[in-house]
Amino acid sequence: MVELLARAWDLGWPIMIGLVGLLIYFQATIKDPASKKSATFKTLIGILCMFLALIAISNYAHNFEYDPGMLPVSLVMITAMSFIMGLYFTNIGALMKIGGFMFFVAAALSGYGNWLPQVEGGFPPPVVKLDFQSMSAQQLGDEGEKIIFGGIGQSKTQGAIGKGQCPLCHGFQKGFLSERAPNLFNIPARSAEQLKAPNYHMNDAAARNTEQKEAFEGSGTATNAQEYIAESHACPSCYVVPGFGVKGSNDTVSPMPRIHKPPISLQLGELAAVDTWMYTREGVESPGYDAIVTSYEKFIPEADRPKASEGDEGEGKGGDMLVDGSEPHDALFAGAGCTACHTIPGIKDAEGKVGPVLWEGTNAPKRMKDSGYAGKAKTTKEYITESILDPSAYVVTDFPDDQMPKDFGLKLTGGALSKIVDYLAALEEGKPLPPKE
Amino acid sequence: MGRLFTPMTRGKKRFSAVTALIVAGVFLTLPIILSVTALAGGGGGGPSGPPAEVLEQRKAAAAAAAAAGESVEGEAVAIETGRDVYYKIEGPAVGMPAPITADNETFYPRYNFESRVLLWVANQQHLYYGSFVLAVPIFCMCIELAGMISKDKAMAKKYDQLAYDFIRISLTAYSLTAILGGILIFTFLTLYPAFFGYLSGIFRPVMHIYALTFVAESGVLYIYYYGWDKMREGVLKWVHLSMCVILNVIGTVLMFLANSWIAFMMSPAGVDEQGRYLGNIWHVLHTALWNPLNVHRILGNMAFGGGVVAAYAAYRFLSSTTDEERAHYDWMGYIAMSLGVAFLIPLPFAGYWLMREVYAYRQQMGITLMGGLLAWLFIIQATMIGILFLTTNYYLWQALGRMTGGERFQKYIKYLVFILVVGLLVFITPHTIVMSPAELKAMGGQQHPVLGNYGVMSAKNGGINAIIMTTILSFIWYQRGNKVPTVSWSKFGNIFMGCFFVVAQINNIFLACYGYFIPANVRIGLSVPQVAGTLSCLLLMTPLNLAMLKGGRELGPIKWGQIPPRSQYAIIMLATAFTWMMGLMGYIRSSVRLFWHVNEVMRDNSPWAYTHTIGFAANVISFNVLFFWISIMFVFWLGTLGAKKVVIKSAVPDPVPAGASPQPAAGH
Repeated sequence: MVELLARAWDLGWPIMIGLVGLLIYFQATIKDPASKKSATFKTLIGILCMFLALIAISNYAHNFEYDPGMLPVSLVMITAMSFIMGLYFTNIGALMKIGGFMFFVAAALSGYGNWLPQVEGGFPPPVVKLDFQSMSAQQLGDEGEKIIFGGIGQSKTQGAIGKGQCPLCHGFQKGFLSERAPNLFNIPARSAEQLKAPNYHMNDAAARNTEQKEAFEGSGTATNAQEYIAESHACPSCYVVPGFGVKGSNDTVSPMPRIHKPPISLQLGELAAVDTWMYTREGVESPGYDAIVTSYEKFIPEADRPKASEGDEGEGKGGDMLVDGSEPHDALFAGAGCTACHTIPGIKDAEGKVGPVLWEGTNAPKRMKDSGYAGKAKTTKEYITESILDPSAYVVTDFPDDQMPKDFGLKLTGGALSKIVDYLAALEEGKPLPPKE
Repeated sequence: MGRLFTPMTRGKKRFSAVTALIVAGVFLTLPIILSVTALAGGGGGGPSGPPAEVLEQRKAAAAAAAAAGESVEGEAVAIETGRDVYYKIEGPAVGMPAPITADNETFYPRYNFESRVLLWVANQQHLYYGSFVLAVPIFCMCIELAGMISKDKAMAKKYDQLAYDFIRISLTAYSLTAILGGILIFTFLTLYPAFFGYLSGIFRPVMHIYALTFVAESGVLYIYYYGWDKMREGVLKWVHLSMCVILNVIGTVLMFLANSWIAFMMSPAGVDEQGRYLGNIWHVLHTALWNPLNVHRILGNMAFGGGVVAAYAAYRFLSSTTDEERAHYDWMGYIAMSLGVAFLIPLPFAGYWLMREVYAYRQQMGITLMGGLLAWLFIIQATMIGILFLTTNYYLWQALGRMTGGERFQKYIKYLVFILVVGLLVFITPHTIVMSPAELKAMGGQQHPVLGNYGVMSAKNGGINAIIMTTILSFIWYQRGNKVPTVSWSKFGNIFMGCFFVVAQINNIFLACYGYFIPANVRIGLSVPQVAGTLSCLLLMTPLNLAMLKGGRELGPIKWGQIPPRSQYAIIMLATAFTWMMGLMGYIRSSVRLFWHVNEVMRDNSPWAYTHTIGFAANVISFNVLFFWISIMFVFWLGTLGAKKVVIKSAVPDPVPAGASPQPAAGH
């Protein structure tokens, strides 16, 4: 609270002093006692309202990224300020009351938004290179479960979802809700039955009534259970299970996206993993990696097969990281660029003089107590993290601000940051150096 | 000077004025005429792709190779074709592929702040002002026409004054819209150059049409506004109204073109999988979601515009110092709010259509919206829709108080409150919600053990339809506030209306309950008869009520201005909540693309390619709403500066006693 008031004062002290000056001026210049009383009272109200506004703005600016749940509090403060102003400054009364009421409505709605469960959509999962071909059936099945549900053992949890996004529409357990697309329990056995369905037209794609007859010209239809699964993934509209077509299409078009195309874009290896899981979880022997991949190759032409290098690997998030935390300590600090400016005890070639020496185990507690410290850290590790991500939160005396880049948050992985912080926190003057890799 | 004209010269002058206006009208609508011709032909050249002559050279090379007996099949010399991601037809790939971006300063230059939020704010402010200035001329058109066809000269004058007041408010906002449009483009160019470059490349054939349409809109608006006094009588008044029609046509085309960008980002068409333009600009414009978005936005703009003008009237009402002013602004607020609510009522149906098209386009997108990541935001939306209707009803009940005879209905209001509250509670009950594994475990499944049984779609539809029907009933009571029908069939009419409402409500509630006993894919179809009942109440009962009241006995005058100030806060609440809801729905619509700039075509690789928490989004929406209202209140204040002198003049000689019909507060 004291911190908040101090920040508010820092933000608007010239205005506050101006208002106090006005108060003194009125005392000296207004002779009529009634007018003087009124002016004094209104100026005091003005000072109170201004300070409320400063607290609100300060709270808003400070918590915008750190604690969004506190922002509606600022709106409530401005509501209070506006109504006080509206009551005592009648010439702008209507405007202030209306403004105050609007802030109140916005505060209520913001508060409601912050009160609801907070769900954040993360970044799309990075492409991880896996050698599916050399995996055992069990390993392949586990990877398949991860792709479908987001983790091993998640298949029995309603709502669990992975890269493949299958559970958005399909149920996988007998009795699970599956209104948008067929439930896929026991699918290996049922696939063989589906081939005999009257509308499937095995080996006679031209006779189908669907909008798309074949996955591509000449691909033909599936002739066995695995091919049926592959065709369903690669060309969902080639055969639509009755009742699950796009509304109004009379089951001639499927709402399901082609699995090898954006936005899902599963590679053949991943598809093999998915299919393997569907076999193994039923206790049925999988046809094997090669047979599954061959079945997909029948329905996905060479040019359409997603490559392992596609997606965001090497681009976007992962591509621009300086270090990922897997490096030994010397390489980690060198790779992150710390050694260019800082002297870091125990780290090879870390003799930079641009920034302070990083005895952070010793320095951090002192700096957090410094009156000039404006950050939020409460522990040594928090202080170091803050110094890396927001170097201007506290600038060490005799060192200039804005020397250190402010985008380390975008250049270090969580693992790398954690490893750096752990090492620096353990550096205390007069004590042995911490162990390093 | 006017006295010097003879009737003949006046006639000539009128003829010249009409001719000049027609020429100006044709000239100003020329961009639209040209664009229609261009679009009919599939649009202009390709964006950022090889120019036509290069394509011709390629064709010639291919032909020469063929003539020389070389096999051209599959060779690079052949013109590349691509398959439209939506229309599924082949076309020449004349555009460049969508850029594959990476998280660096080249693709995403940045300040020390989240670029996405900056763009969000710039976009939203432009949209708010754009919506307002596009909606107001539609109101003006309706009100001016009402004045022209009114047989009551006094009312005609009042309507004319009201229309003028409306357009005057929007004129200052118009300049701000243009300024904000410039800021938006600069923000785009500065922070998302690759993305903006790609989009402007795709839309190149219509980019200048868009700009020219804006010029035409400005030209017509200025003629319309400044020509108000000159075109006050006779045929010139009709010409004046025609200018407003032209203004609205241009405005609508302008909005459709702007909408095509966002529709393309959500549901691209006219490009292949790599994002290459395939030479048909109509396909780029006419994407799966373009028309639903257009309809939804027209209705939304109208409701929003009504809210803003009503808020202006409320502000003027609350700051009025004379009964005359209060009477005028009470009336103005009522008209604006009625227009706004009239467009708010069909808005949920347009929303259903949009959502249905979203599901048809990509089922996953629909699920992400309604049952996945963004589902909680729809709970907020449902709450807000409920609040909007509750507030509207509250205002109407307050307004009954200014009518002699309105007290007849007060005793029934508690029953309406009951229906509204129950309807709202049913409407906002969630059914399937996204949860963390821990929450799932705690709840024992994806659906709440108790509430999960209740929040199905047909019940929700039942809830909102009950609310809308109640609002229609409130409005009918309001129409009857100070009148008693005297037509010979009034008894039959009353019984018929009563039965109609009861049957419609029973039908609605029965279907809401019946939905629990049938599968979901069948249940969704129940919305049609439910909505049909509500629309029947709206479209049959309201005119029937008016027919019954024609020539009816008046119990007393409407005492304009004699309404409690809290009614004006209801209007402010309505306007603020609607602004907030617009921000919320815009955020939802944009967020559903997740990590795509252009869905499935151009990926977002910026550091902000994730979806914020609901709380963060709510805070930014609130910021946008308050920023808009603070700025527009400044515009309102500017408007009062110009009107003050006239108020003093008109107020002195012709004071209007409380309870009289409203008089114009200002001349023009």
